[in-house]
Amino acid sequence: MTTIEASGSPHLAHRDGAARDGGTLVLSGWSAVSAYGVGRDVLREGLLSGRAARVEEAGDGAPVPCVVVPGFRAADHLGRKGTRTMSRSTAFAATAIDVLLRELGPEVAGDPQRIGLVLGVGQGNVQTVMDFTRGALTASKPYHVDALRFPDTFLNRAAGQSAIWHGLQGPNTTIAAGRLSALLAIGYAARLSRGGHCRRLLVGATEECSPARALLADAVSAGRDLPAPLGEGCVVALLEPAAEAAAAGRVPVATVAATHFRAAADPAVEGGAELAVCVRAALAKAGAGADRIRLVVPLGEYAQQEEAGIRAVLGDADPRWLHCRPLLGDAFAASAGLQLSAALSAAAHWSKPGDLALLTGIDRDGTVGCALFGRPD
Amino acid sequence: MSADAEQERVVITGLGVVSSIGTGVDDFCAGLRAGRSGAKPITAFDTTGFAHAIGCEVSGFSPQEWLEHLEPEGLGRATQFAVAGARMALVDAGLGLQELRRRRALVSIGTSDGETRDLDTLTEQQLAHGALDPVLAGRLDASRLASGVVRELELRDVETMTTATACAAGNYAIGSAFDALRVGDVDVALCGGADAVCRKTFTGFYRFGTIAPEMCQPFDRDRKGLLASEGSGVLVLETLRSARARGARIYAEVLGYGLNCDAGHAVAPDQDSLARCMRLAQANAGVKPEDVDLISAHGTGTPTNDVVETSAIRQVFDVPPPTVSVKSMIGHAMGAASALAAVACALAIREGFIPPTINHTNTDPDCGLDCVPNQAREAVLNVVQNNALAFAGNNVVLLLGRHQEVS
Repeated sequence: MTTIEASGSPHLAHRDGAARDGGTLVLSGWSAVSAYGVGRDVLREGLLSGRAARVEEAGDGAPVPCVVVPGFRAADHLGRKGTRTMSRSTAFAATAIDVLLRELGPEVAGDPQRIGLVLGVGQGNVQTVMDFTRGALTASKPYHVDALRFPDTFLNRAAGQSAIWHGLQGPNTTIAAGRLSALLAIGYAARLSRGGHCRRLLVGATEECSPARALLADAVSAGRDLPAPLGEGCVVALLEPAAEAAAAGRVPVATVAATHFRAAADPAVEGGAELAVCVRAALAKAGAGADRIRLVVPLGEYAQQEEAGIRAVLGDADPRWLHCRPLLGDAFAASAGLQLSAALSAAAHWSKPGDLALLTGIDRDGTVGCALFGRPD
Repeated sequence: MSADAEQERVVITGLGVVSSIGTGVDDFCAGLRAGRSGAKPITAFDTTGFAHAIGCEVSGFSPQEWLEHLEPEGLGRATQFAVAGARMALVDAGLGLQELRRRRALVSIGTSDGETRDLDTLTEQQLAHGALDPVLAGRLDASRLASGVVRELELRDVETMTTATACAAGNYAIGSAFDALRVGDVDVALCGGADAVCRKTFTGFYRFGTIAPEMCQPFDRDRKGLLASEGSGVLVLETLRSARARGARIYAEVLGYGLNCDAGHAVAPDQDSLARCMRLAQANAGVKPEDVDLISAHGTGTPTNDVVETSAIRQVFDVPPPTVSVKSMIGHAMGAASALAAVACALAIREGFIPPTINHTNTDPDCGLDCVPNQAREAVLNVVQNNALAFAGNNVVLLLGRHQEVS
């Protein structure tokens, strides 16, 4: 009944765990690696001008079109040592965290045991896994494989390696929840905070384009064009209690007002109705009416269902809409992370006290959900 | 941070198991008591060229038995295990589907490899220059372990996530359910872990020299490594209030858990960091080391793990309690491992016995703990600790307690 939040509803704040643990949870900084490049500024400029990132058409490299982080080399951002074999999704995460930690300054990770990481991933490093198995199948002995690449084949590699890179000794959790991974990661991280496990949590999601992912996407599509080019990137934010941010002198960019999730047996038919239930539940948790939603950032999978579900709740409210997918492709596990980056980039559209930004998604496996973000005090 | 009076207490009311020593809670429990071994030659892939390839596979598993709604070919083997475990756990909890669907639920399934077994097959197809099977490619996403359970059970009012923190994932999933229940975000949770034996992971551990040739011998002087295995462990967690209201049998209470990251080596465990994780878990659960009656160790049976883990235990416990490894019986089921171990802990508490560490001949003096060798032992257990470690230094320690109704 109670939840993550409580901006604008102080009567709720006294009842929930967040209040005892320092009140409202906020995002007090964020960074991104996207198809516009590394950092927030290029992302903000690209998203807000509506400029689609460059699509690499299907051809030699991949059987399907991809929207990739242009010219990305891990060594340019993290140095040459230890980055040669880093997979893209791992390097994106380590880079996004690097940018964020530098910006926030040494205090934030000054006590490494008190900062953790919750990261959403998709299929993991499918390229590394397929390369590893191919090596095993083609070598003179089935075990003549590159042992050093073995840890890369696990789904927790991006989160684990990022923690190792940056010395983050708090909780370190990998969440695989498809295109809504970042939203579920935020909900999970909020509970870690409320459960007393850790007060400072970097939270986000990462995804990579690779020939293997493209090959698999092509196989699944069975000859049909993909609904969107494959995308990639990583978005990471710092989640902490408002009091913690204030004590450290960090200025929050948003409050985490609520998340809510459901499932649709057939997302193409029931996704919209289930999403409407989610949005109403999230508003109830936030103690807010739909008229406070000033910005909507939908996922864009089952777009008609998604829009219908949102509009059913909005009624006469007329917020701005921002669509990421036409600009950045289908970034799978990073999708909701990029939606979050879009909402934070477009803060001018929900700038007044009480304004809310709504992120939504309906995914192919039936997962439906939303998150509400509010203005910090 | 000790338990807060305003927060819900969380209990385990149902258990579902797919394992190499038994499917279903009764068979699994009998296996634990008897010290059964699941070791046998691996059949998941062609093992030609390996000097040894013993594992603990699940034999004779038929997904149709557990799937009423979905077609088996739409689910990879790990997801099939997860769904079977979930169905068993609900029956064991006496929680009907209609009743479940009326409650706000969390489905949180841990995994190490997801459906990598399918990815291995797809790699073979690619090597043969054939087309990739769209059915296998379409069921690969790790998120499908949890959403497969949700789709099969036709749940709507549910939060769905796969926790993918490698070999400790099961405990992470149980922890996520505990936190969600404790603050009242959900009324009931299906949580645990699932994995399927695959060439990729066997090969990697083999290359590292960590696969035992015949048997898994945790804490033994002559231990030679782990045995790759598979299966699922799924637990029904609900609030004590909910369990009481429906008169449910309670296996154990989840007292709390702790989690941290070594942030050091990519594969080697860190003694100090693991010790810190145990202290975090005990603080979260509001227990002291001397309250703990049994430790279910990560206990892989590799030379390094067992020394580091037992040393960390001695760092935390002045007098360590009996410390066992169920991996000696069921092998290392990766993301399912700590979920299966948690099931074993719940059974141990409820049934009053300590599962043995089998294949044990000579205790390694560098480990030196009472590992309850070879024979199960009767015992009253009030608090049990379940350790889990993963690559990248991901540690998570769970504490379960005996539930006693006060009249």
